Amino acid sequence: MKFDNIIETEELARYYEIGGEVIKALDGVELQVRRGEYLSIVGPSGSGKTTLFNMIGGLDRPTRGRIIIDEVDISKLDAYELAWLRCRKIGYIFQTFNLIYTLTALENVALPTVFAGVPRDEGAKKAEAFLTSVGLGERLAHKPLELSAGQQQRVAIARAMINDPAIILADEPTGNLDLHTGTDIINLIREMNKTRGVTVIAATHDLKMIGASDRVVWMRDGKIEKIEKGGPGEVYKEPLGASGLSSGAPSHYD
Amino acid sequence: MKKGREVGRISFSLTDAFRLSYHNVRRRFSREVLIMAAITLGIAFFSMLSLTDAFFKAYTQTQGGTLQVESYQYWLVFVSLAVCIVSITNSTIIAVYERYREIGTMKCIGALDQHVLELFLAESIILSLAGGALGFVLGLIASILSVGFTVGFGIVTRISPVVLLSLLGETMGLSLLLSTLATIYPAYRAAKLNPVEALRYEV
Repeated sequence: MKFDNIIETEELARYYEIGGEVIKALDGVELQVRRGEYLSIVGPSGSGKTTLFNMIGGLDRPTRGRIIIDEVDISKLDAYELAWLRCRKIGYIFQTFNLIYTLTALENVALPTVFAGVPRDEGAKKAEAFLTSVGLGERLAHKPLELSAGQQQRVAIARAMINDPAIILADEPTGNLDLHTGTDIINLIREMNKTRGVTVIAATHDLKMIGASDRVVWMRDGKIEKIEKGGPGEVYKEPLGASGLSSGAPSHYD
Repeated sequence: MKKGREVGRISFSLTDAFRLSYHNVRRRFSREVLIMAAITLGIAFFSMLSLTDAFFKAYTQTQGGTLQVESYQYWLVFVSLAVCIVSITNSTIIAVYERYREIGTMKCIGALDQHVLELFLAESIILSLAGGALGFVLGLIASILSVGFTVGFGIVTRISPVVLLSLLGETMGLSLLLSTLATIYPAYRAAKLNPVEALRYEV
């Protein structure tokens, strides 16, 4: 059976030079992400997760290698094309939510539609529908700081989804949330993945997130260590990457 | 392989820039008031002098005499406007630091460099118009008081509205120019920010 890959990386490498020393943040990563799958990326800090994210998200350019999204090599795109990619194809969810604090929940969610050229009324209507679908229909006019952490992350998820992206990049989406709220957020992301068919790539320390995923990519020292099938049972053993797990989120072990 | 050129349009109108900037000015009011105060004070001093000059001219045309604004006073205005530019630049640089994450986020959802630039310039235009108008009013009051106590308040009615309006126009233009000059460097820096670094930045 042939899989339809939405993302492929070929020999992807990113080197940084800090104080004359070359740091290999990514060193020859070969990864295929299937359309509609929920992929978790796990690894200790400094393993290259975030760098890989930034590459896929078009926020950073590789030193060598290629990233192909929907058959387009994005390392060859110019600034305008990358902006369009970030606006329409990719939705970002961050550990720190990164909402704009001067705007209401509704305006935050509607913001990507502004860049997408959607008329204002239509964007606002769409944003309202998305906020309602994440359970915040009553909180449209609230500013981010008037919302709880979990609610802020819901706003961020609605914002990430509003332009109907093909890919959601979630960098530690439950990192700043308590156990219960974190579970809700994972379920919500998983639901978006199932019902809307959006491909989810989540970097995480959180065992609950690994349990929810179709596949788990273990990273170490800028390389892919192994790729496992996800789901509970697979993840609770202590593999090589466990040091990063335990230092990252000990509270998630219960 | 398909060519990457088949992308759609990114849109961000000036109206959008002004709308977002207006929200920002309202929400970060205390900081924005400080930036505005720099403009207001500089402009108030400038317009006080230019209005006093206009009043003196109106007076000497009808009453004769040699009343005029001393040239060293213009030098003082020049220095105060230079200080005004420096302090606006300084405040805006700090404002950019505070908004690092916001800028990174905007870039993540599709903003181009030029859109970030537009946001900061739109804000500077809003502040300079408000600060310029307020400065002109303060300058007007100060000049009426100073001229009034020198040659009598009757002079106030003798200045032509055309002169007054053209001075207002001049003042607003100057305010806009100063504010833009002061903002362009920090705004450019904000626009050029790498989103990866902007998002990593801890305030």
